[in-house]
Amino acid sequence: MVMALFAASIIFYELPPLMAILLLQVPLLLMGGVAREWARTLRGGAMLAAIIFASNLISFYFFQGYTLTTEMVELSLSLSIRFISLMTSFSIFFLTTSPDELSLALEKARVPYEFNFAFITAIRFVPVLAEEAQSIMDAQRARGLEMERGGLLARLRNYIPVLLPLIVNSIRRSLELAEAMESRGFGASRRRTNLYELRMRGGDYLVVVSSMALLGASIYLRLSGIPMGPIIPPRRIL
Amino acid sequence: MGIIEARDLWYLYPNAGEPSLKGLNMDIGRGEFVLLTGPSGCGKTTFCRCLNGLIPHFYDGELRGELRVSGLNTREHPIAELARHVGLVFQNPDNQIFALTVEKEVAFGPENLGLDRREILEAVEWALRAAGIAELRHRGTNELSGGQKQRLAIASVLAMRPEIIVLDEPTSFLDPMGAERIFEVLERLRREFQITVILIEHRVDLAVRYADRVVVFNDGRIIANGSPEEVFGAEESRLAGVGTPKIIELGKRLARRGVSLGGLPITVEDFVSRMRKALPAHGGPPPAWRMRRREPEFPGGSPIIEVEGISYTYPNGVRAIDGVSLTINRGEFIAIMGENGAGKTTLVKHFNGLLKPQTGRVIVDGVDTSKASVAALARKVGLVFQNPDDQLFAESVEEEIRFGLRNFGFEGDVIEKRVEWALNLLDIERYRRSSPFTLSGGERKRVALASVLAWDPEVVVLDEPTIGQDYAQKERLRHFLMQLRTRGKTVIMVTHDVEFVAENRPRVILMAGGRIIADGPMERIMGDAESLKAASITPPEIAKAFRGLSGYGLPADVYDVEEAAEIIVRLLRGDGD
Repeated sequence: MVMALFAASIIFYELPPLMAILLLQVPLLLMGGVAREWARTLRGGAMLAAIIFASNLISFYFFQGYTLTTEMVELSLSLSIRFISLMTSFSIFFLTTSPDELSLALEKARVPYEFNFAFITAIRFVPVLAEEAQSIMDAQRARGLEMERGGLLARLRNYIPVLLPLIVNSIRRSLELAEAMESRGFGASRRRTNLYELRMRGGDYLVVVSSMALLGASIYLRLSGIPMGPIIPPRRIL
Repeated sequence: MGIIEARDLWYLYPNAGEPSLKGLNMDIGRGEFVLLTGPSGCGKTTFCRCLNGLIPHFYDGELRGELRVSGLNTREHPIAELARHVGLVFQNPDNQIFALTVEKEVAFGPENLGLDRREILEAVEWALRAAGIAELRHRGTNELSGGQKQRLAIASVLAMRPEIIVLDEPTSFLDPMGAERIFEVLERLRREFQITVILIEHRVDLAVRYADRVVVFNDGRIIANGSPEEVFGAEESRLAGVGTPKIIELGKRLARRGVSLGGLPITVEDFVSRMRKALPAHGGPPPAWRMRRREPEFPGGSPIIEVEGISYTYPNGVRAIDGVSLTINRGEFIAIMGENGAGKTTLVKHFNGLLKPQTGRVIVDGVDTSKASVAALARKVGLVFQNPDDQLFAESVEEEIRFGLRNFGFEGDVIEKRVEWALNLLDIERYRRSSPFTLSGGERKRVALASVLAWDPEVVVLDEPTIGQDYAQKERLRHFLMQLRTRGKTVIMVTHDVEFVAENRPRVILMAGGRIIADGPMERIMGDAESLKAASITPPEIAKAFRGLSGYGLPADVYDVEEAAEIIVRLLRGDGD
């Protein structure tokens, strides 16, 4: 569903359908119980949306021969809203879907387990790597390394004492991980069981069907050439 | 028939000059608890890898002799099959956890075996309970502490229902309390489920009480194999660089002086009950004799580090330091102790400006750290981190040492002189052109130390210098610290190694929950039962034993084996002084 809305926001650039999409996302946010988290991301996103609006408006003004029409304002506003609805789609997806569930879904879609495993392990090691990078940086700064010193080239060179231990440690870690995987019977059985299984229920089918319908309708609207904007008759402002 | 039978086991790693195992013979019975120890590089880890078939199936190289585990010849059965009989737990908790939640992690093994869902669920539930982490089931693996992660690793191998569990230095990254928890779990596995436990451990003093048998490796061979009494009663194990636990050492010295306790005591409780039998019910007055030693001097030198009411909260909201004030004088020797997460490392990171205080201030040699760069402060305060691998990067040991010197802008000929000096100081001249990555763990640690000491900082801070170090390496470190002190350096170590602190007699600062809860000479702090408890630190063994005999009026602040032996001999003779 979210994906369909996501795709739809890319398809349209007119104001009315984009507003409709944003409105459709509201019940989804509430159903997912992630409205508060979403509001927090929105606070960061609002600034960006404002920048998108302003930069579009300014560039229209300059490239359209120093004129500004209501159409341009409307279009800039649409683009900002498109950004917000894209962001909302992302938020809904990642706030409601744990990586474990995503991996189960991939498994259901017959993606080989090795890819799944790599995906989960990668997520698992993000914080470990971040912590390690911090320790390395601390250790090298304690030896007098000043990361911000020198010109561009020198600064790039300053990263070597941080990157090298990180790489060497990762290689060492991958060997240890391989040992641990072997010791836990990785790849022992061709028919691996997963503790959990995703089952499609009535509601899930409903979601799939309505998502498809939404996507189909959007594509139809786009290709049919039915005019959807501008909603305010074009008039010159400046 | 033993559950593990090794016959003339011999193994050579690919591209290695010398074999790592040189003809090993061993029989281990079902349900035994075996403590396997020996100096670093003696072949313990290699032997573990043989037990579940990583050698010869994962590692190439040359394997000779025969090894049977649960009746299976390891050469003929794949690792996945052996994994259902032998569970292997590794040293680093982070490098053996793959999943995002505890439950999924424990399920990983049985899932791989393709068991059906109900069986997996049963195995997971049982394993979580057996490892004592049932309440963590739905937690994320990234939020666990080191000790919890290691118990998760144990649960994860248990879920495959092995008869044998092998642990390769599982407590290296844990504090003493965390280590005890692991050992207790292992004890229970043996007692309740008759699982054979093979524990590789440098912390012999903590682990020996659980073991039926101690096996000492040296240079790819077994040099001692028997009950703890037999092994530690003999001299060989000491020669091989395996420290004898303090309480056993005390028993040995008493025996040598004619005090019979009817056998060697292995644990503190054991010692106390044997002593009770040996001591007369109404003994004479307690001996007033104490070993004469120089009073621990707290150099009245001018303050070099002054900490005034600092607090520090990490961006994730953890308040690591909460109102700490402290003065460290020039030439002092200090141990900062406390459990993991007490704020020790956060505190020392303030000494060289890696962290700037959020409230309060830190003055280093008259300079406010919030107004100085890390580089300027690091010149005076050399901080050596726990893991050498987090800093080694150069192509040779020499280059590694030059790195800091260059950063601080020393002249070319001074740099060369300093490099020579540091190589000598840590006895690593012969590796000068070797890549630091090819050296052993202990050697890498020394290179990291040399690379900091090279610029001769006035204050040397060592973060967990004894962790994962064997007995011989700790002895070397002890001598080295003494050398630094005689040269007038201020030495600060962050540690939870109680026995190491007791031997070195520094000023001890105890931390708990981001605050300093006690500060004073080692003799007083290690006798302060209440503060030690608040900092989750168990007192040194000798002190525990004397406290157990408190009814006889023995002093509570004795930490030295020789002193303890002398006091007991006098007590038995009925000498008043």
